[in-house]
Amino acid sequence: MKLAKVVAWEFRRTAHNKQFILMTVLLPAIIGLAGGGVALFGGGSDGAARTPAGPPPPFLVPMIFAMILFIGAFLNGTMTLYGVVKEKASRVVEIVLSSISSREMMAGKILGQGLAGLIQVVLWGGVAAVVLSALVPGLSWRLTPVQWVSYPLYFALGYLLISALFATLAAGMKDVQSSGAQFLVGMIPYLPMMFSAGIVQQPNATWIRIASFFPPFTPGMMMIRVSMAPIPWWEVAGTILVLGLFDLVFIRVAARAFETAMLMYGKNATLRELWRWGVRRRR
Amino acid sequence: MSVPASQQAVLEVERVTKRFGDVLAVRDVSFSARRGVILGLLGPNGAGKTTTLRMIMGILDPDEGEVRFSLNGVTGKLDKERIGYLPEERGLYADARVLETLVYLAELKGLARGEAVRRARDWLARLDLAAWADRKIESLSKGMEQKVQFAAAILHEPDLVVLDEPFSGLDPVHQDFVKDVIRGLRKAGTAVVLSSHMMNQVEELTDEIVLVDHGVAVLSGALDAIKEAHGTHSVRLRFGGDRTALERDARIENLTIDGDRAAFRLPKGTAPDTYVRCLPAGILVREISIARPPLHEIFVQTVGRRGDEAR
Repeated sequence: MKLAKVVAWEFRRTAHNKQFILMTVLLPAIIGLAGGGVALFGGGSDGAARTPAGPPPPFLVPMIFAMILFIGAFLNGTMTLYGVVKEKASRVVEIVLSSISSREMMAGKILGQGLAGLIQVVLWGGVAAVVLSALVPGLSWRLTPVQWVSYPLYFALGYLLISALFATLAAGMKDVQSSGAQFLVGMIPYLPMMFSAGIVQQPNATWIRIASFFPPFTPGMMMIRVSMAPIPWWEVAGTILVLGLFDLVFIRVAARAFETAMLMYGKNATLRELWRWGVRRRR
Repeated sequence: MSVPASQQAVLEVERVTKRFGDVLAVRDVSFSARRGVILGLLGPNGAGKTTTLRMIMGILDPDEGEVRFSLNGVTGKLDKERIGYLPEERGLYADARVLETLVYLAELKGLARGEAVRRARDWLARLDLAAWADRKIESLSKGMEQKVQFAAAILHEPDLVVLDEPFSGLDPVHQDFVKDVIRGLRKAGTAVVLSSHMMNQVEELTDEIVLVDHGVAVLSGALDAIKEAHGTHSVRLRFGGDRTALERDARIENLTIDGDRAAFRLPKGTAPDTYVRCLPAGILVREISIARPPLHEIFVQTVGRRGDEAR
């Protein structure tokens, strides 16, 4: 009940944020351009036999949506990070925590801001779909049932994961200037994008299958894999389940790290301290 | 002192101890808060007041000892809906509006939305902030923001209100206003625990006090009783006549004379009444005031004496 109120409150505050509104409107334009670029690249990669009417690669669509996910999640994660650091600095947390648990507060923040962010990202996705259809003739929008079900789940759960990760990092910061090493940790979910070529070529290679179960890699890897080749159903279901559980655990970790860190002023927590507060037992 | 049935304890702090590393922030502190009683947790900065209040609020866990609540007739854990808290380090969402912030915080305390809106508007009117209801928090002055925070702590009419330095940053007019509200809470049967380092400023407000120094409760009990026990009255006098009459008076202590002004103490056991009835012969009293020493002085005496014992 209270969680719903926190979610609604954080959602409203996010949706009224000027930067957020600006991003929501501005980014589709950039996506349009990026989509155009990728479309050209995709058409030209056939090498010598440049056939403009050649069928676009099947990974194009999921790749672009994975990109949208990561851009959106990164912006949202940064916003969560700023929000948490600001509330820590303005000391509103102690008032809020006299009414609800740190877990409700963190979960509410991550879900509320995430919900606003997801709406934003869906809007971008819509624009991207229109741009793609216009730029790439013959692009197939036919998805298998597995893809229909799994894309949104990977997307939403991946989004939550990145938000929770940034929220945890924010818990230990005294101000936003003192990020740095923390941001590098925030980049972990983005690593699969670097190996995307490998994933496209061998979507069922053993190391990729194993790495897909590592939750920070799951969204990036699985969205490409599902579009490239038939994946055993238990792998799809399994990765989604693991990712979902990991999200729940991570929100709890964020809350516990925050609980300990919020009384600490004027000092940055090290990553090791965050780990200790969030993961190990506090007492 | 007998305790009326209405003044049941809603909070019992029992021998709590808290360490931060090697620093012993609070050691073996006990007290209880009862309905209709204002309890002052007083002491200098760094005495352990905020740490104690944070243990009450469950923000920190005591290393030893226990915090027990008896709210709604249920004894046990902290019921966050029945308790109001004004932290020392406080802030509100800068980008949110005044009324919606109050309503949100009240809803988190379990009030229904309609009721929350009604009470928030009431309080804004009482606080003289009705015109600011739809402004953003960041447009308020510091004093105004503090009044909003204060309202947020008591809007849901809790059984127990915990106020950490409620007067810091308020001008005298607002301080008086807040004091009136706190007296109103007492009258309504709320248990109030307030901390302050400005002892003289809050002593008129409190019924009971716990004086803390270096994490230890050095004195606690009903304010009147403590004053009685430490009641060496101080006398201020403007006089004419023979000053040697004062100097020879064996019934007084710590005499200082400056021109026609004298200041001295009545030793423990000498009632003001007894003294006034037989003033030393030979002096002419122009002005006289006899008062109990302010709390601050009692604190200094107590801490000083404790220090001597330690040596």
